[in-house]
Amino acid sequence: MQARSLVVMDAQGKERRLGKRLERGGEGQIFALRDRHDVIVKWYHPELLAKRGEELHRKVEAMRTLRDSQMTRDVCWPLIRVYDQQRRWIGFAMYRARGVRMSFLAHALLYQRYFPGLDRRRTVSYLIRFIEIVQQLHEAGVCIGDYNLNNIFCVPTSDQVTLIDCDSYQLSVDGTFYPCPVGSPDMTPKEHQGVSFRHVMRSPRSEAFSLAIVLFKCLMLGRHPYDIVGGDDPVRNLRRGNFAYGRGARHVPQGVWYELWSELPETLRDMFVTTFTVGADAPGQRVTLPQWHAALCDYREALAAGQYSARLATPKGPRRTQTGALHAR
Amino acid sequence: MATYQLNADRDLIENPSPRCACMLVLDTSASMFGAPIRELNAGVQAFISAIQEDDMAACSVELGVITAGGKVTEQLPFTTGMNISQSRQFIASGLTPLGEAMELALDRLEERTESYRKAGVAYYQPWLVVISDGVPTDQWQHVSVRARTLAQQRKLVVMPVGVEEADLEALSAFSTRPAKRLDGLKFREFFLWLSASMSRVSASSSTTDQVKLPPTDSWDSI
Repeated sequence: MQARSLVVMDAQGKERRLGKRLERGGEGQIFALRDRHDVIVKWYHPELLAKRGEELHRKVEAMRTLRDSQMTRDVCWPLIRVYDQQRRWIGFAMYRARGVRMSFLAHALLYQRYFPGLDRRRTVSYLIRFIEIVQQLHEAGVCIGDYNLNNIFCVPTSDQVTLIDCDSYQLSVDGTFYPCPVGSPDMTPKEHQGVSFRHVMRSPRSEAFSLAIVLFKCLMLGRHPYDIVGGDDPVRNLRRGNFAYGRGARHVPQGVWYELWSELPETLRDMFVTTFTVGADAPGQRVTLPQWHAALCDYREALAAGQYSARLATPKGPRRTQTGALHAR
Repeated sequence: MATYQLNADRDLIENPSPRCACMLVLDTSASMFGAPIRELNAGVQAFISAIQEDDMAACSVELGVITAGGKVTEQLPFTTGMNISQSRQFIASGLTPLGEAMELALDRLEERTESYRKAGVAYYQPWLVVISDGVPTDQWQHVSVRARTLAQQRKLVVMPVGVEEADLEALSAFSTRPAKRLDGLKFREFFLWLSASMSRVSASSSTTDQVKLPPTDSWDSI
């Protein structure tokens, strides 16, 4: 498909020209709108529309009934129905997220390039804002389900956070349940492992586990909580509750990681240990969103008061000139 | 003789990205002389450039290169994309000891994944790409069983690609998926597809799930 020639229609039959294609994912393509720089269009792939178009349409319509001004500011929520020139529903329009993917913030070697001057105060502010948005969704009966740092945008010059790719969220509207059919085992609690995500019902407790992984990865500059020296892959470690930073801190990867961990307040460290050890098996033991929110607010205040160092301990970074080259030296 | 100043151990300590090891086994035998080797060199260079343009992929993809041209040469030990500084030009000469090259590639992949485990670095299913324009001129059957078994166990993605008159049947024996034939000398298109695939893998938040790959219609033929 060539973006230049693409024209879509709104529900009133008014033609709108699409601009540049911004993304091509597994489900569809994201286009800019020619005359509205703050609005983008998701156009589902034709094969997906042929297979599950009605189901997608019903879910997006259900989502539209939940929209409110607050939600549409913080989450790229479906706002306007979009049709092709044959008047067939093909997707929706939404506000465009500003900022940089959180996966670049949660990366020891990349964050300085994308978030110049980042320190713990700013990281914690993003996380507090993120929790507030998730709480707002939960209050509306919506669960994120598929937690992915690539779907969280942070504005480097402020603490603004926006969530994208929300048409996968789990919700219930007028007695109809719409599952979140996708997910990643690396971000999913044990009770939902090994089951088709389409048949999973996410809960505040399962959400709290996935959210804790996001918090950990950001505070630990990209380390997954279940990266363990000499151990199995993160998913197997997750299923066993093998969290290296717990009591005794055995099998923590070498490098700056333990230093990053030990600089966190004891309260936060205890909350991670509880969630990732006993909480791996027992959802009721997991730290809740209000508890994370309160602890991070306390941490932000303590950072502002100078009780903790806001500086991020970092590795030395890539050394392009010193390392392996295909070229014979 | 080639010398390398590797700093792989520090990289495994400092870089938190899950890794995607990608080993290229390239037939650089005499039959690749002329346009094929030129296009192959340009394709590898385009691959490295494309990986380096994507910061996440540059931190995640580890490239290794072994050539089979007269003798087997490890041209590049596994190196993270961001740390590759320059590409050597391969020269076409000699026979095609592809069996020996594949054996070395599988050994190196095994060693590398063991290093990941020891360092606590998560990794995606590694890739082994083998490109040839002919038939292996050494013993290759036993190593094809080893490669195919790893592919069946979903411990390795083996991608065999045949060029011009390549023996696709022999190449297919290395994998659970049939070898694809390159359309003419579209090495550049193939390597751009490979980099797009690597970008998708490295952007995935799941180290255990299969990633849907881009279509291959830009470079393959019937």
